[in-house]
This record gives sequence, C-alpha cells and structure tokens, in this order.
Amino acid sequence: MSTKNNRILNPDGGRYPFKVSDEYFDNLTARIMKQIPEENAQNGISGKEIQEEVSERNKKIIDLRQRRFRNRWLSVVSIAASLVLIATVALKFIPTSTTQDQPVNEQVATYTDEDYNEDLMTYTMVDNMDVYYYLASGDMDEE
Amino acid sequence: MAKIDEHDFVKRIQNPQTKRRAFEEMVNVYSRQLYWQIHYMLQNHDDTDDVLQNTFIKAWKGIDMFKGDSALSTWLYRIAQNEALTFLKQRRQMTSIDDEDFVEQANFVADEYFDGDETEQMLMQAVSTLPAKQRQVFCMKYFEDKKYEEISDLVGTSVGALKASYHIAVEKITNFFHSKE
Repeated sequence: MSTKNNRILNPDGGRYPFKVSDEYFDNLTARIMKQIPEENAQNGISGKEIQEEVSERNKKIIDLRQRRFRNRWLSVVSIAASLVLIATVALKFIPTSTTQDQPVNEQVATYTDEDYNEDLMTYTMVDNMDVYYYLASGDMDEE
Repeated sequence: MAKIDEHDFVKRIQNPQTKRRAFEEMVNVYSRQLYWQIHYMLQNHDDTDDVLQNTFIKAWKGIDMFKGDSALSTWLYRIAQNEALTFLKQRRQMTSIDDEDFVEQANFVADEYFDGDETEQMLMQAVSTLPAKQRQVFCMKYFEDKKYEEISDLVGTSVGALKASYHIAVEKITNFFHSKE
C-alpha cells in the first residue's frame, strides 16, 4: 500500500466496526434447525430420496437419447438398403451398354419364319400330319 | 474456522441416521464465519440474518449431492455468496442505485450493530460504494488479514485477480476520503 493510502488505511488492517451478540449465534442454530424438519415433514421426502429421484430422471433422459439415436441409425440403414435394392433392380432391367444389346439382336435376327411356324403349331396343337392332311384335302377340293 | 475432519463430517451428514445431528454441528461450526462473509456484502444485520438462514436451508437441501470436489467450507461459502448476490439483485430492482447509496449510508448512523467511531463510519461508507464482490474481497483482506491464497480457495478467483481487485478497492476508498476533505 502506498504512503498516501497509509494515512487512511492501516497497513496492518483494521477492526470491522460491527458487533453481534453471542446470544444471536446461540439461538441461530436452533432457529435454523426448526425450519429444516418442517420443510422435510411437509414434503415427506429426504435429501437422499431427492437425489435418487434426480438420478432416476437422468437415467430416463439418457435412455430416451439412446433410443432416439438408435432410431435415427435404423432409418439411415433402411434408406440405404432400399437404395441398394432399387439400384440392383434397375441395373437388371435397364440395358446400359451396347455389348449387352448385341446378343439380344442376334437372338431376334435368328428367330426365323420356320421357328414361328413351329411355335404356332405347338400352340395350336397341330402336328405335321394334320398339315399334310389339310394341304392334301385342299388339293382334292380344287380338283 | 475451527479445524474439523470435513470428510468425516460430510459422511455423517449424508448418512440419514446421523444427518440431523451432524448438520446441527455444521451450522454451529460455520455460522459465525458465514455470517461475516455475508455481512461484508450486505452490511446490515437483518438482511445478513435472512440470507444466512437461506444459505443453511439450501445447504440442507443440497448436501446429499455434495460430492466433495471442493472443501465443505468453500461449498457453503459459494452458496452464501450466491444467496447474497441474489438478495442484492432483488433489492436493486426495487430501488434505484442513488436511493440504495442513500439507504446504506443512512443505515450506518442508525444501525444498532455498528460499533465504530466517526472515521470507521466514514470508512464503511467508502466500503459501501464498492461492488459487492470487491467489497467482500477488501473486507477479507483488510479486516481479517486473510492471505490471497486463502481468499482464492474460498471465492474461486485467481490470486492475481484478487490482488488487482484489492488494489482498485484501496484506490476507490482513498478517493472517497479525499472527496470528503
């Protein structure tokens, strides 16, 4: 502290100029303790119970957070799985390159009239004999 | 403050079987120290009495959650400080700052708990112009001659900041006296 300050404030400190009787402190404990059981009796719960309740609430909050987190992950995973499935199906049905086109064209090109007639005969349950018979009878009619 | 085994004290207070008795002992041990800590901030017996009782009631409600991360005395001190600051805030909301200064200065003359001469009265008027926390630090250093390290443990402020705060407080008080000359 500077010399100027020493004229006002004692460097060794000072006496706090307030006093309180010992009686006040003697009665203080009793007055405080009188208020405490009243509060507890009214509430009917102890400090330990309050603490347990608080920790129980905290647990519930943590559970809820974990559940939300888990739900979010499930949504993300299911969306990703759906996208993969759609992509797989799309790749199967949509031709994407010319190399895949070629064999298809070849198949179309080799599908001749003969094949068509055979398929038609199979479908209509007509065999070669029926065809010959039909042709022969047609000839006879003309005759 | 009396030397006590705080760890054992806390264990007994947190045990439902011994809680009430141990808490009563705690009030006995810490009430004087806390009274003056609060009085430094409020500078009025009746207000200090109210805040001190609230402090112990809050301590009772919260003692089961006290983990022992700090000393019990520090924990109690912080409750007391918060209660005193809340009280001051509420009082400030009810009166303008000028009115508050007038009330505090007038109270020293009429205060039956004031036990000082004219110079001491003037000193307390000068102290009352300091912000509450600075007033408290000044009082702990000047009237109790506490070491900065002790005050730091109690209020959770660094020693450097406390030294600066005390220095500013001394300057303000000096200026107050000069303005009255």
